[in-house]
Amino acid sequence: MKKEGIELIKDGKRLDGRDFDELRPIKIEVGVLKRADGSCYFELGDNKVIAAVYGPREMHPRHAQDAKMAVLKYRYNMAPFSVDERKRPGPDRRSVEISKVSREALEPVIIKEFYPKTEIDVYVEILQSDAGTRTAGINAASVALADAGIPMKDLVSSVAVGKIDGEVVLDLNAMEDNYGEADMPIAMVARRNTITALQMDGRMTKEEFDKGLKLAMNACRQIYELQRTALIERYSEM
Amino acid sequence: MYKVVIPGDFISEDVNRAGEGTYIEGGKVYAMRYGVVDDKEEIKVVPFVGKYQPARGDVVIGRITEISFPYWIVDIASPYEARLHMSEATPDGEKRIEFGSMHTYLDIEDLIVAKVTNVDPLMRIDLGLMEEFQLRGSGRLITIPYTKVPRIIGRRGSMIKMLKEKCNCFIFVAKNGRIWISGKEDDMELASDVILMIANEAHTSGLTDRVASFLDSHRRVRMYNRKNKGLKR
Amino acid sequence: MDDVRRDYIYNLVKRGKREDGRDFRDYREIKVEKGIIKRAEGSARVKIGNTEVLVGVKLEPGEPFPDSPDEGVIITNAELVPLASPEFEPGPPNEDSVQLARVVDRGIRGSEAIDLSKLCIEEGEKVWIVFIDIHVLDNDGNLVDAAALGAIAALLNIHIPAERYGLSNSEGEDTNTLPIRDKPVAVTMVDVGGEILVDPNYNEEKAAVSGLTVITNTDGTISGMQKYGREGLAEDKISEMVEIGIEKADELRRRFL
Repeated sequence: MKKEGIELIKDGKRLDGRDFDELRPIKIEVGVLKRADGSCYFELGDNKVIAAVYGPREMHPRHAQDAKMAVLKYRYNMAPFSVDERKRPGPDRRSVEISKVSREALEPVIIKEFYPKTEIDVYVEILQSDAGTRTAGINAASVALADAGIPMKDLVSSVAVGKIDGEVVLDLNAMEDNYGEADMPIAMVARRNTITALQMDGRMTKEEFDKGLKLAMNACRQIYELQRTALIERYSEM
Repeated sequence: MYKVVIPGDFISEDVNRAGEGTYIEGGKVYAMRYGVVDDKEEIKVVPFVGKYQPARGDVVIGRITEISFPYWIVDIASPYEARLHMSEATPDGEKRIEFGSMHTYLDIEDLIVAKVTNVDPLMRIDLGLMEEFQLRGSGRLITIPYTKVPRIIGRRGSMIKMLKEKCNCFIFVAKNGRIWISGKEDDMELASDVILMIANEAHTSGLTDRVASFLDSHRRVRMYNRKNKGLKR
Repeated sequence: MDDVRRDYIYNLVKRGKREDGRDFRDYREIKVEKGIIKRAEGSARVKIGNTEVLVGVKLEPGEPFPDSPDEGVIITNAELVPLASPEFEPGPPNEDSVQLARVVDRGIRGSEAIDLSKLCIEEGEKVWIVFIDIHVLDNDGNLVDAAALGAIAALLNIHIPAERYGLSNSEGEDTNTLPIRDKPVAVTMVDVGGEILVDPNYNEEKAAVSGLTVITNTDGTISGMQKYGREGLAEDKISEMVEIGIEKADELRRRFL
């Protein structure tokens, strides 16, 4: 992960001009797919992701059904053209892990008891990648689940913080992720301050971790407002 | 304009009136679904879309998908399939249907009007046939989210009454969002379009008046039809 | 897990107890045996309670990654072999196996314990690939800590097999030992009924609704974290877990590495 030789901070600003605690621009569109029960297109800087939800629907195979509640499934997938060096189609180990962590990020808010013996499928496709795709995916999936009418307690919001040139910063882009010292994606239920996903890669002191966590939680609250606005406005534009 | 809410939005502190589509936490009522608040009697959130959950007493339109003696398996536009026992097809214990001849009564792909007679804790759903259970003749079946059905019916049936009169069609609206329309080709087209329009704008106010004027100038329907086919997403 | 067993664990915790009588912050009995597999360049067998994991490290020359032509490569893999648990099935790695490998890998990589720049044989052409293979033999909970401890224990004191591949040492110094600069240790904790339990056994893992692994280094810095489970964790609980993680890692490092 760490490579030498690039100055990521110049004159107190990051290479793309952002402040240490600044998010990249975000764009959210709700209900963009016709066949899916719910969907959301999400941009975070140069990341472009699309999430679709199917369900609740009958679960197969039958023996995998849960008699008391719905089973949530999440599939994170990168399109071959989404990265500089073409990614071979199909799940790789990174995608498998991200899918698991993302599913666990959303599970706490889904009221699964409502639809026993069914499955709720979340599909996230990364169309263009610039670091932070898993966080964009979780944000998009949250909105898509609401759009599909899935009973939920709340939305989940997600962002990553990291360390570059010794400074803790918010929402790394690909350059910062490649040449930085640490990367920490988190997911949170903004209104309750509960963390539903947390991973850290790289090296940080406890103080840096504490600072990064607070920075991330704050940003999640901002993202939550954007998610909420997108959903409310969709039905207000008549 | 009804109030639009998303899951987790705070609605009220009146927990005694909390109804469908809400949950209670810490003495407050929150929205559980993405939809509109209806707090006329109970505090409810009517979702924009959702999957139909069968309840005893509901009248639904089903489609036979499988014959599995002694049951027909029926798709009722729900995450759960329903079953119809063969004795339902022969009331008064007339005749016992023989193995291998169920399809002579009801076959795969047949549409039926049925009542949900039971939903057990394992989500096994039993149906009973309504007296007039067949949807025969020329007609069309359209499907809208089950959540919009009350809007199509209207307060005390006012909306559906207007639709039937002005479109000159037989219209049967089932609880599971399936609607059977029967009449002349042009009339069915108009009825279809208007029903989809109501479904798309169900959360807005002044809808009844807009529908009335829409029907009255139905010539414009032909153009709306070509531009906006299908349920708006 | 059935409700009866889950309630049993939960009720014990509410009374301040654990199934095996441990304190909430205590590890089960740990045993670490190094160098037990002759054919591997490094190996360690770790037992934490009844959980048993065997880690083998093998070195082979191979191609470097294009963007780091003068650095060695670490490849970590975990096998949850069927004999280790009635729940493990034969087949390609599932999500649990992938997660286990990647979390252990993260800890080693983040700490820069292996000085990859010393593993270059021929820049752009040949470097040493360090294969860390985790073989789970018995799953009684907390595979991560056992695997991570096994990995670093296996990495310490490895003889680089230069002779086997006809590669002589450069500069005449003894560059035959794999250069290890730090000793990252993973500490896994779960939340049961609001209490933090360190080193969950199988039943406690299943009864818990969320958990956190914290991997820390000799100087107390963090080189990996991973949260699990179907429920969320509050910020202050996470903070407490990180502190416990740093403290327990020091203990394990002193005793076994």
